[in-house]
Amino acid sequence: MENKRYDYTENPFNVTRRQFITIGGIVVALMVLPTVWIKELVSNRNRYILARTKGLYRDDEKAKIRVSHANQAVAGYYRDFGGKPLGELSEALLHTKYINRTQGLA
Amino acid sequence: MHSENMILKHPLSVRIFHYLLIVSFLPLAVTGLILYFKPFSGESMNLTMQIHVLAGVLLTLDAVAFFLIGFERVVLFVKRVFTISMNDVKWFAVLGGYPQKFLLKKKVPVPTMGKYNSGQKLFGICVLIGGTILVGTGWILWAFPHNTPREAVALMGTLHTVFGILLTVFLPVHLFLGIYMFDDFKAMILHGRIPYDEAREQSPLWVEKEVIPLNK
Repeated sequence: MENKRYDYTENPFNVTRRQFITIGGIVVALMVLPTVWIKELVSNRNRYILARTKGLYRDDEKAKIRVSHANQAVAGYYRDFGGKPLGELSEALLHTKYINRTQGLA
Repeated sequence: MHSENMILKHPLSVRIFHYLLIVSFLPLAVTGLILYFKPFSGESMNLTMQIHVLAGVLLTLDAVAFFLIGFERVVLFVKRVFTISMNDVKWFAVLGGYPQKFLLKKKVPVPTMGKYNSGQKLFGICVLIGGTILVGTGWILWAFPHNTPREAVALMGTLHTVFGILLTVFLPVHLFLGIYMFDDFKAMILHGRIPYDEAREQSPLWVEKEVIPLNK
């Protein structure tokens, strides 16, 4: 319907096949390259996180005491002060209250 | 001889792309400036950010759809804006004759141009490169800021601001000259057609080399 209202149009062969492939290829490559760069950045960042996690597990394996109930200092606290884990005195000594400090940060 | 004849300058696909560009980029520019200068309180700034993101999503959909559906138009556009000759240098030397026309009411000889004049080519290059960078960095800053390294996010924030300001500064110039060339404005906003004589005066090289009669 639209073509009844005009007498001239652009030549559809303004771009040769060779130009289309060259220009189209460059455009697509320029779009893809930053994507690869960002993907590489994110992967590198994840590699650091994975290395750090691996290091923490290795430290954990080497540690003599790996659980709190096997820790002599914690056991000594309950024996001398706290009574038993989750007990009344223990809660009174160790429990903390939540205070909203975000107002002060704003 | 050609006074009644019309040329289809902006096909429907280009016009739809441009409509969506208007609907998305104008709010993006306004909200972008508000986000940069932060003149409002927290709640209003949050609303501004939401509008900015919504318009950004619309712009992305528009750009991606046109890139995929009208890829041959993208290639043609890239070819046109990056085809540079001595005529462009001469055009910039007289700034297309516009300052002389507006300030001195004088008409100076202007080099012959294709579909886009040199100023439009420069604007096209800025829109193509700047727009792509704005869309890409905008998505990372909004959706993936914690997955991306801090330095890269900071760089993207700077790029987003610089190109956002650049395109926002270009916008009033584009709007003014777009409306000033009223036949072209009507072609882009309404029907896509431009009178043959007008096109031959504005874009002689385009009419001579790229335009063909419909019946042949």
